[in-house]
Amino acid sequence: MLLKQHEENDNGKQVREASSVPAFASGKVQGHPQGQCHYPVAIRTNICYYTHMSKRVSFQGGTLVLYNIDGETSPPRPFRLVKERWRCEGYHYGSIQPYLQEEDIHDAVPRWKALNLTMQDTREAHDYQLEALVAWNDAGCCGSIVLPTGAGKTFLAIQAIQQVNRSTVVVAPTIDLLHQWYARLVNAFACEVGVYYGGEKKILPLTVTTYHSAGDLMADYGNTFKLIIFDEVHHLPAPSWGEAALMSPAPMRLGLTATYPEAHEQSNGRWRVEDLIGPIVYTKRIEDLVGQQLANYRTQRIRIDLSPEERARYDSDHAIYIEFVRSRQLQRRYGPGWLMELMRLSALDPQARRAFLARQRLLRLLASCEGKYTTLEALLQEHDTEQVLIFTEHNATVYDIARRHLVPAITHETHAAERKQILESFRTGHYRAIVTSRVLNEGVDVPEAKVAIVLGGTSGAREYIQRLGRVLRKVENKQAFLYEVIARKTLDEGKAQRRRRNIQKAD
Amino acid sequence: MLTADLVRPRLRQRGSELYIDMLNTSDPYWLQTATELIALFQRHIDQTQATWDKALEAYEGERIDYFTIRGLAKVLTDAATFAPLATSLPAPQLRERLFAHGPIFASPHLFHPQIRDDVIRSAANELGIPPEQIEETLFADRPATYLLTDAGPEWTPESLVARYNLELARGVLYWANIVQIEVHGGYKDVWKYLKFFKLMFWVRSQHDGYIIDLDGPISPFVSATMRYGRQFAAFLPALLLCEQWRMVASIRSPQSQTLCTYRLDHTSSSLETHFRPSGPFDSRLEADFACEFEEKFGSKRGKWVLTREDEVLVLGDTVMIPDFALTHKDNGQRILIELVGFWHPDYLRRKVEKVRAAQCRNLLLLVYEGVNLAAEALQDVPGEVLYFKNKPVLKEVMAVVEKMASRVYDPSLQ
Repeated sequence: MLLKQHEENDNGKQVREASSVPAFASGKVQGHPQGQCHYPVAIRTNICYYTHMSKRVSFQGGTLVLYNIDGETSPPRPFRLVKERWRCEGYHYGSIQPYLQEEDIHDAVPRWKALNLTMQDTREAHDYQLEALVAWNDAGCCGSIVLPTGAGKTFLAIQAIQQVNRSTVVVAPTIDLLHQWYARLVNAFACEVGVYYGGEKKILPLTVTTYHSAGDLMADYGNTFKLIIFDEVHHLPAPSWGEAALMSPAPMRLGLTATYPEAHEQSNGRWRVEDLIGPIVYTKRIEDLVGQQLANYRTQRIRIDLSPEERARYDSDHAIYIEFVRSRQLQRRYGPGWLMELMRLSALDPQARRAFLARQRLLRLLASCEGKYTTLEALLQEHDTEQVLIFTEHNATVYDIARRHLVPAITHETHAAERKQILESFRTGHYRAIVTSRVLNEGVDVPEAKVAIVLGGTSGAREYIQRLGRVLRKVENKQAFLYEVIARKTLDEGKAQRRRRNIQKAD
Repeated sequence: MLTADLVRPRLRQRGSELYIDMLNTSDPYWLQTATELIALFQRHIDQTQATWDKALEAYEGERIDYFTIRGLAKVLTDAATFAPLATSLPAPQLRERLFAHGPIFASPHLFHPQIRDDVIRSAANELGIPPEQIEETLFADRPATYLLTDAGPEWTPESLVARYNLELARGVLYWANIVQIEVHGGYKDVWKYLKFFKLMFWVRSQHDGYIIDLDGPISPFVSATMRYGRQFAAFLPALLLCEQWRMVASIRSPQSQTLCTYRLDHTSSSLETHFRPSGPFDSRLEADFACEFEEKFGSKRGKWVLTREDEVLVLGDTVMIPDFALTHKDNGQRILIELVGFWHPDYLRRKVEKVRAAQCRNLLLLVYEGVNLAAEALQDVPGEVLYFKNKPVLKEVMAVVEKMASRVYDPSLQ
């Protein structure tokens, strides 16, 4: 029969066809029970697996499903009869334990393992970190911890993982943070760590994923993790981001955040953080901790000129672009969404299409104009003995610079292990420079640098400049530098201004 | 499959009905475009992905239907293979080695007597490979530098456009939360693919066919999840293997964010599937059984006619399709036969659960005696069980069939 090739077991993974030679042919001979079969045959078998169909609960695609339950008594809430089986969401796994035991239902859910980790990080925990951990334990290892930014939430999570010592998955909001967690966990435990997101999928007993990919991971492998940690747990009420928490049967759950969502902020979502993670078990306010030290650096703007040939190309493309945008009054009519409108129009109106292409060409030109390369070279020579971070928006430019100057590149293509190696080699001074198109998030695993060079960029780069601020440190008496290289009389200038305004507003 | 951004521009909404604007497969304009794209792609064999991307961008030029061109190109690249250049040294290893020298410059300076050429040349010497190979290897693991090694199937302009249309129809389902299908005839492979793409289904019989509701495990617990959209999309070509079918999908329109309906059936378009229908038999055992039956009892020789998988036992969230059915030539009595060969224990457990759930009195199980299945497991199965050593003995099988028929169809026992 056809279905057998695609039978699935309870885990939803495909069962491979057994080989045509039975592996159990060498079993002991057992008499066939009398009177139950009209045909006198002996059955060779090792174990009789399925003498009766026992009651059991299994994990299926983020749900818990009861099998072989008699029809007389209905299982209690949260189970619901859906398509002739009693089912509930994965996150109820902890709360249905008493019912399973009472009814003697075989628990086929857990697939988690012991981790046997050894902590390599010898830093001592702060008092408040220890308090938080105790509070989480007292709450049955379910709940959220609220700590201000920079108070060592990652370190706390690492302590929790070591203490639980069972398969754990960490869910982070962005790929950058995923990489950061990866690096921190590898360093903390000197073990292999899995990553699961669009770019790489490698599942290990200790795995890091993103909110975006966590749903898929939970659907297929939810029951392989006993502890689930949500970094920036305030993201959970978002409709698609909460699904992973809903589907995970992990009985131990830890939420981390600096800004726990207010009740009214959670009402838009389909669930509340408490329902999925447990209550807030510990809070520490920023006033209670030492204030953050702001970096000491100086911003230097360097203006370059386009070459005559570049200027000509720029001017002609700029004319095409700006004429269309002005004639249609896109900015006035559509406000911040004007660029989306231009993109929409470019599939309908040949003039819009030409304007959009012109804009694309001039942004590429600004990213790779010769003057910026020349200035970069001069700056690299000027800061010959210092650690330098180079930022540019376009991937092509990143790899161009990496090739020209033989410096390591970090982009969305860079895998977790190499990214970690690059950052560490930079930290130890083995590498002197890094060129990147990514926001190097949060101070923790971004090495300190004396010099940062920003080659153009968008006005939306406000965040990365801010974050860069944390990276740049005054060492001894020498000031740190942030260079902004912009092309004179181009879109760069307006952007740099908007960026500056944004930074001042944020400060 | 197409990315969502390539599907969205071709979606149309009228009231609460959603449509997809497919290409006319005989439109000379699109056939011309398809012809040019196929030729352009062929010319890029052994070139890098970045070169192809650039060529495609140049081909698009200022055309405003660029997203259709990109969709057609996506069909081409999805079926093709881009492979990394085989290098004698892994690229990350080479990078580690070279980047220790950076930042390096093209010409010497006071504090930088060593220039880029020197670094490349000395690495080449140490590794015993030419300097050009160093340059080639440096980022050989980036997808942009992968080479087009296999351009995929032999596309004709018509087949490319038809396949693009199918991909658009699949694409609509990305935003689907529930899909209902109705199948009549030739539905054998539907069950196989439903399981293959891990969809949860619920089946009801309906005169000569079935109505199947599709969603996923978590669907009943969250309102309108789109988690299974890609699986619905992946499954769609299997539906096209049926002779007659209808599909109604509930879609959250990506444009209006409202719930819409998307319908498709066997008459609605010129869609062609690229899934192959499976062969008549799944195992040697089954083929041999059918063959031997034909030899010994086939055509005029016996009272029974053997047919293959012609009855579906509907069990709600799953189905069981017995391997064979024997139909009596005179009185139409039917005995269903299921061969239980050498399979994984998990499979057997499910099989036994299904046999029980089916409560089917005219089902005969032929069980390989070496199989790890205790007799007790089958003791209260309503049909009959016959064990065999190497292959079923046809004489014994027919004896049991006769006995079952007289018992099952005995009017005094009804």
